[in-house]
Amino acid sequence: MKTVLKLTVSVFKMFIRNKQSLFFALFMPVVIMTIFGLIGFDRVPQTNVGLVATNPSSATQQFIDQIKGISAFDVTTGNLADETAALNKGDRAVVIEIPDNLIPNPTATTPPVKQTVTILQNVGQAQQAGTAISIMNQLLDKTRLAIANAPDLFDLQVQDVNAHNSKYIDFLLPGIAAMAVMQMAIFSVAFVFADYKEKGILKRLLATPMKPYQFVAAQVIVRLLMALAQTAILIILGALLYHVHVVGSYALILLIAILGGVMFLGLGFTISGIAKTVEAVPAIANLVAFPMLFLSGIFFPTSGMPAWLQHAVNYLPLTHFASAMREVMANGAGLSDIASNMYWMIGWSVVLVTLAVITFGFEEKRV
Amino acid sequence: MPNIIEVKNLTKKYGDLTAVDNINFTVEKGEVFGILGPNGAGKTTTLEMIEGLKPITFGDVLVDTLHVVHHEQQVKSIIGVQLQSSSFFDGLNLKELLNTFAAFYNREVDAMALLKNVELEDKWKNYVKELSGGQKQRLSIAVGLVNDPKVLFLDEPTTGLDPQARHNMWNLISEIKRQGKTIVITTHYMEEAEVLCDHIAIMDHAKIITMDTPHNLLRNSGVGSRITFRVDKQCPIEHFKALPAVTEATSEDHGYRLLTSNPEETLPALFGHEVGCEAKLFDLQLKQATLEDVFLQLTGSKLRE
Repeated sequence: MKTVLKLTVSVFKMFIRNKQSLFFALFMPVVIMTIFGLIGFDRVPQTNVGLVATNPSSATQQFIDQIKGISAFDVTTGNLADETAALNKGDRAVVIEIPDNLIPNPTATTPPVKQTVTILQNVGQAQQAGTAISIMNQLLDKTRLAIANAPDLFDLQVQDVNAHNSKYIDFLLPGIAAMAVMQMAIFSVAFVFADYKEKGILKRLLATPMKPYQFVAAQVIVRLLMALAQTAILIILGALLYHVHVVGSYALILLIAILGGVMFLGLGFTISGIAKTVEAVPAIANLVAFPMLFLSGIFFPTSGMPAWLQHAVNYLPLTHFASAMREVMANGAGLSDIASNMYWMIGWSVVLVTLAVITFGFEEKRV
Repeated sequence: MPNIIEVKNLTKKYGDLTAVDNINFTVEKGEVFGILGPNGAGKTTTLEMIEGLKPITFGDVLVDTLHVVHHEQQVKSIIGVQLQSSSFFDGLNLKELLNTFAAFYNREVDAMALLKNVELEDKWKNYVKELSGGQKQRLSIAVGLVNDPKVLFLDEPTTGLDPQARHNMWNLISEIKRQGKTIVITTHYMEEAEVLCDHIAIMDHAKIITMDTPHNLLRNSGVGSRITFRVDKQCPIEHFKALPAVTEATSEDHGYRLLTSNPEETLPALFGHEVGCEAKLFDLQLKQATLEDVFLQLTGSKLRE
C-alpha cells in the first residue's frame, strides 16, 4: 500500500509533466467547449433587412427608427440599387422600400394619400423573409390604428417566467466532460504503456520485486483523479464563461465520472495490450474513439439521426456516459433516473476491464 | 570463497530453437564474472533467466542459495539489474527516479549518495533524456544499486560508448567490486573482460565453450605470442626454428615472425642467437596473445560480427 502511494505521487508528477497528455486531457476539451459555446447553436439568427428611403419626412423617419429598433432585424440602409444587389447576392432576406411620405404629417389638414411599401423578398430565405413581412404588416397596422385614433381595446401583456430552458451549452457541457474523460483514459494509458513496453521499461520493472498490479494501481488512481479534475474544471469554466447551472447532485456526477473513467481505462489498457508498437496506438485508439465522438450525442442530440442509427449508437459506451452526465447536470436526474445508463456503463466496464486483463501484460508473450 | 550463483544444466528453448543449451557455471562471492560471446550466442538469455525475467525451459539456477523459480521475488530483491539498452521514465528527474525505484523495493534510499557514487550528483535535477550515452549507463547502474544488491548484473554496459566513457565505466565497475559486490557482466569486448573479470565464460551458439581465469585462458589456449623483428644480415630460418618454445617461424619481407608459446624462454635465446649469427636485430616487437586470439582459435570466427 505504501508502495502504491509513493508510486501514485511519482506517476502524478509524470502525468502533469507530460505536455501531450495534459493537452488532450484538459486543454482540448476546454477549447472545444469554448468554441462550440461561442458559436451558440441555439441563438436565433437575425434577419438581414435592407431599408431604402430616399428622403423621408420626419414622421416617416420615426417609423424607420422603429424598424431599426426591432431586435430580430439586422438593418442596413442604402439606395435601391445597392440593396437589390445585396439581396441578389443572398446578403438580405428582404429589402423594404419606404416612400418618403409614408406617414402623414399629424398636423396636415389634407386627408392622407394611400402609400405603398414595396418588399423585395429573398425566396431562398423564405422563412426569415416571411417573419420580416409579418412584422412589417403588424407595424403598419399599429401605425394605421394610431393615426386613425381608434380606441385601444386590447392590451398584450408579456411576463417573464424563469423557466428552465435547456440551452445548447447545457447540452454540450456534460457531453464534453464525458468526451474529455474518455480521451484522457484511452490515449494517456495506451500511449504511455505502449511506450513503456517498447522502451523496455516494463521489463526493467519486472526485474524488481514489485508486483505489476501495484504499478498499474498507481496509474489508474492518477487517471481517475484526473477524470474528476477534468469534470470539475469543465463545470467551473462552464459556470464562469456561460453561466451553466448544474442542477443535479455533484456526488452523482463524480460517481459517473469515475465509472466512465474505469470503463475507458479498461479500453486504454486493452489497446496498449493489442498494439505491437507505439505507432499502432493512435490508429487503433482513433478507430475506436473517433466514431463515438460524433455518434454518441456529444455535440448534437442523437434524436436527429435515422432510427436505425439511433438504435445502433445506443450500444456505445460513450452514449450512456454522456447521457448520464447530461441527465444529472442539466435535468437534475437522480440515480434511479439514470439506472439504465449506469447498468450499461457497468456492463461495458466489466467487458473492457476483462479484455484488458486478457490482453495487457508487462511481460513479452511467453513461448 | 562460497558460490553466490550456481547454474546447472540451464536450457532455454523457443520452439525448435535452442537459445541456451545445457550450460553450467558458478560465480564466486565478490568476483567479477564475465560472459563473452558474439551477438546471438545466448548471453542475454542466460542473464535474464538468472534474473527471473525469462522462464527457464530446463535446469536450475540458485542465487545466494535461493532457487530462482521458487523464490522469484526474494531473488529479485537481492539482485541489481542493468538491462541491455534499458531506458527510464521521461517525466522524473534523476533523484525522483531513484526514489521511485526504491519504492519498487519498498525501501528508502539516499538518492544523492547513489548519484554521487556514479558521478551524476550534479545532474540530479535533470531528466533522463538530457543525459549522454555514458551518463545514461552510469544512471542505470545507480538504479541497479538502489536495493544494495548482493549481485549486480550488467548486460553489455559499454556497448556503444566512446573509449573515454568506457574507461570511466571500467573504473566504476572496479569500484563497485571493491565495495564487496559480486558482478556478472556480459560483453563482446575482449579487452574489457581481460581488464575487469576474475573468471570468464566464453559462449558461442548457445553453449559455453570454455571457462577459466583470463590468465589461464591465454596460457592454456595454445595461442602463442608473436615476435617480429628484422635483421641487418640474412640468417637461415632454421636457426630461429630451433629456438626454445618457438612453434613456428616464417620469413617476411625484410624480417622474421616467430610464434612462441612462452616468450620468456624465447627472447633471451633470441638475443643469444644474435651473437652466433653475427646479425643485428632491430624493430623487435612482442605481441602477446589476446582473448580475441583465444576466441578466434576456439570458434574459428571473429568475435564481432
